[in-house]
Amino acid sequence: MLVVRPARPADLPALERLASSATPRLTNLPAHRDRLEERIARSQRAFSHDIDFPGEENYTFVIEDRERDEVVGTATIRALAGAHEAYYTYRQETLIHASQQLNVRREVQTLALSHEVSDASLLCALSLHPRYKDTSAESLLRRSRLMFIAQYPERFSQILAVAFPGYLDNDGESPFWNSVGRHFFVRGYQEMNHVAGVRSKSFIAEVMPQFPLYLPLLTPQARAAIGREHPAHERALEEMLAEGFLRSRHVDIFDAGPVVKGERDRLATFRNAAWHPVRIRPQHTLPDAEPAMIANQKLGDFRCVVARYALSPTGQLMLSPEHAEVLGVEEGRAVLAAPLALPDAIDALDEGEL
Amino acid sequence: MRIRPIARGDIDELQTLAQQTGVGFTSLPDNRDFLASKIENAARAFEERTPVDHRLYFFVLEDETNGELAGCCAIESQVGREIPFYNYRLGTLAHSSVQLDLHRTIDTLFLSSDHTGDAEVCSLYLRPEYRRDRNGVLLSKARWLFMAQFRDQFPAKVLAEMRGVFDKNGISPFWECLGSHFFPMDFNEADRLTGLGQKSFIGELMPKFPIYTTFLTEAARACIGEVHEHTRPALEMLKKEGLRWEGYVDIFDGGPTVEAYIDDVRAVRNSRLCKVEVAKKGTESERPTWLVATTQMLDFRAAWVGRGPDESDVITLTEEEARRLNVVAGDSLRVLET
Repeated sequence: MLVVRPARPADLPALERLASSATPRLTNLPAHRDRLEERIARSQRAFSHDIDFPGEENYTFVIEDRERDEVVGTATIRALAGAHEAYYTYRQETLIHASQQLNVRREVQTLALSHEVSDASLLCALSLHPRYKDTSAESLLRRSRLMFIAQYPERFSQILAVAFPGYLDNDGESPFWNSVGRHFFVRGYQEMNHVAGVRSKSFIAEVMPQFPLYLPLLTPQARAAIGREHPAHERALEEMLAEGFLRSRHVDIFDAGPVVKGERDRLATFRNAAWHPVRIRPQHTLPDAEPAMIANQKLGDFRCVVARYALSPTGQLMLSPEHAEVLGVEEGRAVLAAPLALPDAIDALDEGEL
Repeated sequence: MRIRPIARGDIDELQTLAQQTGVGFTSLPDNRDFLASKIENAARAFEERTPVDHRLYFFVLEDETNGELAGCCAIESQVGREIPFYNYRLGTLAHSSVQLDLHRTIDTLFLSSDHTGDAEVCSLYLRPEYRRDRNGVLLSKARWLFMAQFRDQFPAKVLAEMRGVFDKNGISPFWECLGSHFFPMDFNEADRLTGLGQKSFIGELMPKFPIYTTFLTEAARACIGEVHEHTRPALEMLKKEGLRWEGYVDIFDGGPTVEAYIDDVRAVRNSRLCKVEVAKKGTESERPTWLVATTQMLDFRAAWVGRGPDESDVITLTEEEARRLNVVAGDSLRVLET
């Protein structure tokens, strides 16, 4: 059985492993023991304090394989993408250059540094052991964060954002970085990404060119990489689009990976999540039903598992004793449930401003 | 040979000149209506019927023996007053971070209209068969004597735009890399429109944000502030007068704009007024080392003479020279040894 729970200090070695094995390496999950240790400590503070509005908290989760007694994945929510510092993105913009004299109209694409995503809550730093790739465990790890947010809405922003790793070529080089960032930092993408992870990305952003970049002046390879996710994250992006996130005009400042944004109330998990009292029944007596994410409502002891969405005629959720034990709930207590299945992804750009 | 203001009757000769200059000399297109209005504007400028900030002083170099026009040159009293005047200012931005052990400067091109209100020396052309006897220097420098004489009609600064670098096929690498992305036309068409004074499309289509030159090709970067090899002598002449490149370049070809405070221009500073004496007997003309110009705007004339003034600032002209300049004994002349 796989269960998502808050990270604990003892998870540090597992987090280090997961940081090193992330494909590609993630800026917001640096393989750096001190940084990870700090992150766990900060996360524990966030889980244990009363918080009325989002601030600089981060909530770090792990997914544990109970049979193996092993932490096999991690994911984080940053309550605000830019709390102390600004969260930098490039915003794709179109300028119209029109000349009455010549009777011509040209659309010129630019990338402008933006802090707009700073106010969103950010789902980030997800890494999962490859054994579980494309299983329900991956969906559980990714979307159990939404189950957490649904229970503690005051701790998060109305807008959620996910930044997907950008396109890298077969040599692990970022064509976008090579055409943009490299001019200003004279360093390779991987090296810079590591520095950004260990220190912070925004202090690097402050050295980025502050004026908008004209796309026609970038290399074709760099232009093609704008808003394109890393091949290893195609499915993940698809799932988030199915969840109801929309592609935004924002891309990562290093590798131009896409940033998707979603208003909480428009996401499938929030819309379909429902509270049910628990009824505990032996595993073999449970009826067949679609899989669902089931979460308890214990802030610091948050647990989320995948189980069958088996409802009694009176609306009680029937759980096996094992699931009830993992969730720490007794008969009669309420749990939050949301179907694991999602509608087909609608891959659309958000035309309005979220 | 003498310099004089263009006159309304010069239209046929000017058109002949315009046909010779060909493409690349955009301020003299082979377009009779355009040339006629240009002459009319110039005539009104010399008649001081247009405001001082709207004047185009257009001069011709005339072979007074046969009435042929050998070349032309002009001064725009103030650029950017009626139609915007754009260029790029080459700037530097530091990108530096102590934590990253990084210190790097990046060159940027900022669209600018900083030269609005400055005078411009421009439109210099000399027919190939007259490229002798220092006629080119006469065309170029007569303008400084004019500005010195009518100093109060001009602003503080003067500039000159120099033609940029083109490759063997007449292609501007700077244009190909930058302008071509923003203008739906080729360089010559863009240049032609500018020559006609139809510049508003530049402001409408040109990128408004600074351009980081690091995004340009190496060939394009190499053009910034560099002149066409044929323009080098003209640039040298202006540099000797004290005009300097201050980092401004043409937005189309990247050629340098050189500039100076008019009061600092060597010819303006060193020219002085003398009294005319006319010798009854013609003295043998020597090598032309003194540039002289008359002091009336409408009757402005400039020419070489073979000798300078004496200790009491009297310059003795031959009758032919006096005729050429349309002066008589007792008149004043502005002179410059050069």
